[in-house]
Amino acid sequence: MEQPFSLTSELRDNCLVITTSGYVNNVGGEAIAAEFARHFENGTKQVVINLGQSKVVNSVGMSFLIEIIERLQEVEGKLVFTDLDPAVEKMLSIMGLFQYAGKEKTVEDALASLPGGEKPGR
Amino acid sequence: MTEAVTLKITLPKIPDIELVALEGLDRLARHLGIDEEKIGEARILVTEAVINGLEHSGEEHPTVRVEFTMTTADLSIFVQDHGKGFDPGSVEAPDIKDKLGSKNKRGWGLNIMKSLSDDFHIESNRNGTKITIKKLLR
Repeated sequence: MEQPFSLTSELRDNCLVITTSGYVNNVGGEAIAAEFARHFENGTKQVVINLGQSKVVNSVGMSFLIEIIERLQEVEGKLVFTDLDPAVEKMLSIMGLFQYAGKEKTVEDALASLPGGEKPGR
Repeated sequence: MTEAVTLKITLPKIPDIELVALEGLDRLARHLGIDEEKIGEARILVTEAVINGLEHSGEEHPTVRVEFTMTTADLSIFVQDHGKGFDPGSVEAPDIKDKLGSKNKRGWGLNIMKSLSDDFHIESNRNGTKITIKKLLR
């Protein structure tokens, strides 16, 4: 059975990298948004969310990510998803999230894609 | 002839109860030797259908009846609640453009189910709502 939700986060060159594990339900979505808000208040404008260890998500949990996109738009920030399970990627696509957020295979790829982000070999 | 396996369960509204349905779905898939990746979209369909039934039934102690019938070719999902029902035709398709800046960022379940399924049917009246979904697994 899918594991309970948990997340870790780290700052890499002013980019917040959130890595989730387990089922992203309403509680998980809210926790991601809260972690983002904590860093956003301190000026973080670039965010990477690694959902690789979350094979099951629901739309309520994902709707909290719209809040992140909304706040990043205010400061011309950027959100990138990585390590997406194909079904989760399709769901986010149906919701239209990739109109406002990027997607990359890995966290390293995402960091390299962001303006001023970590480049391979750096 | 393709073997069909059926699972019927009734779920009460307790946190993350939809994971019980997903466990059943995974076990049926393993029994039939269906690839993990083919079940991914079915997991989302089941999750959204169960949540929809439990969240919107309007009952004091809601339950949903869930029934899966799986073959190596396809999966039928039936989810029924016993709530007050609603008019499915009155539900507008959500748009991310409208959700940005709006307090209500939810309301994606029906659209996701319609988009991910190969056949989707919803029937609702004041005795409850029935959702029937077919998902091809090949």
